[in-house]
Amino acid sequence: MSKAARQRSARERLAEERKRQAQKQQRVRRLTISLSGLVIVALAVVITVYFVNKKDPNVYTGAFAPTSRQADGAILASKPGAKAPKLEVFEDFQCPICHEFENASGSTIKRLAAAGKVNVLYYPFWLFKQQSEPIKGNSERAANAALCAPADKWIQYHDAIYKHQPAEGSKGFSNKDLIGWGKDLGFDTPQFEQCVNGNQKQSQVDAMTNFAENTRKVTGTPTVFLNGQSLDLSSTLLNAKNLEKTILAAPPAAVSPSTSPSTAPSTSASPSATAKK
Amino acid sequence: MAGEMAAAGGGDNFLRTFTRAIMRQQEWITLGVRVLLAVIMGTAGYAKFSEAEGLQKVAVSSYRILPQGMVSPVAFGLPVLEMALAALILFGFATRAMAICVGLLFVVFIAGIISVWARGLSIDCGCFGGGGLVGKGQTHYLREIFRDLGFLVLAAWLMVFPRGKFALDRLLGL
Repeated sequence: MSKAARQRSARERLAEERKRQAQKQQRVRRLTISLSGLVIVALAVVITVYFVNKKDPNVYTGAFAPTSRQADGAILASKPGAKAPKLEVFEDFQCPICHEFENASGSTIKRLAAAGKVNVLYYPFWLFKQQSEPIKGNSERAANAALCAPADKWIQYHDAIYKHQPAEGSKGFSNKDLIGWGKDLGFDTPQFEQCVNGNQKQSQVDAMTNFAENTRKVTGTPTVFLNGQSLDLSSTLLNAKNLEKTILAAPPAAVSPSTSPSTAPSTSASPSATAKK
Repeated sequence: MAGEMAAAGGGDNFLRTFTRAIMRQQEWITLGVRVLLAVIMGTAGYAKFSEAEGLQKVAVSSYRILPQGMVSPVAFGLPVLEMALAALILFGFATRAMAICVGLLFVVFIAGIISVWARGLSIDCGCFGGGGLVGKGQTHYLREIFRDLGFLVLAAWLMVFPRGKFALDRLLGL
């Protein structure tokens, strides 16, 4: 080969080498950028989920309005003498959305009831009567136990039941557990145990379910009536601020007059002297 | 015969001319697609993000696909995922990779809606917030699927033509 030809092919090889290097650089650059993008997105998601999970579930630490049992088994939470709108809560302890509702708005409702801004009637019933086991049994045992439980620690018991709600499809709410939570709250009497184990409130569960489905036309849970008007799930029940606004804007309504004798009001914190308005 | 051939030739010509015109503007089209997709993803993500937590969880769990333990992370992570992807696509950073992520996401969404439809559930897809159970006759599954398919087409364009105007990728030498 002539010298010129050798120089030319050397130049060509150099140029090719440079071109290959440049292409390699481009590939590395592209890979780095793509990877960085993926990492940024993944980090954003992981950090958010971490912080949201860490958030303490809002545990209610305020006072409870006095609770009393009505003739039909419903529980009334009402500050004595309160002239306030009537909130009727139809729920099933096994219903996951009811659990979400309790998480989202439970504290708000308790606080407003304690302040005399709303009178709440709880109607836990057997929505899942027609489902298969284990949902059917879970739901029934919880409803039965809730009717067996005495009125004065009822809301705390109701909260404990929701706290231990089994995943839909798994067995839960065993009578043993239901009694245990009653024991934690201090009302584990032999009568209570017999009532739970013996399913003694079955007929009242059926009556309340019949009332909910046939009289009040409740087809799903949670169904919540404010002065007889059903509240929307997405916009109101799951949005505590909105729920509070709606309740405070509603006029006072009469609560059903039939009450069994009140037991002592329960409070988790001693209330300060209420100012006379 | 000659007329038909001329028409066929004309049709071919038109397609070729049209395609060439598109390709000349490709980088602008990519910019437009990036902005459009970013706005869509960002809106969807933010709408969910700004909702009550309970509602976000209800929207996800009403699909009855995920196990209970995964509902929360997905419900809270998805809006952030959508907004993060929207931001990176808007700025044209790692465009092809992000477009692939978006494409996969839409495939998953479409599969989810089909699954719900096939099982006879009545829900709102919750794509732009809201969600949960709806009355039997009030589902819009076909509409939701076609809408997501449209978004998938946008993502596909970005996968094939990631280079566009005003992209961070370009600034970084891609």
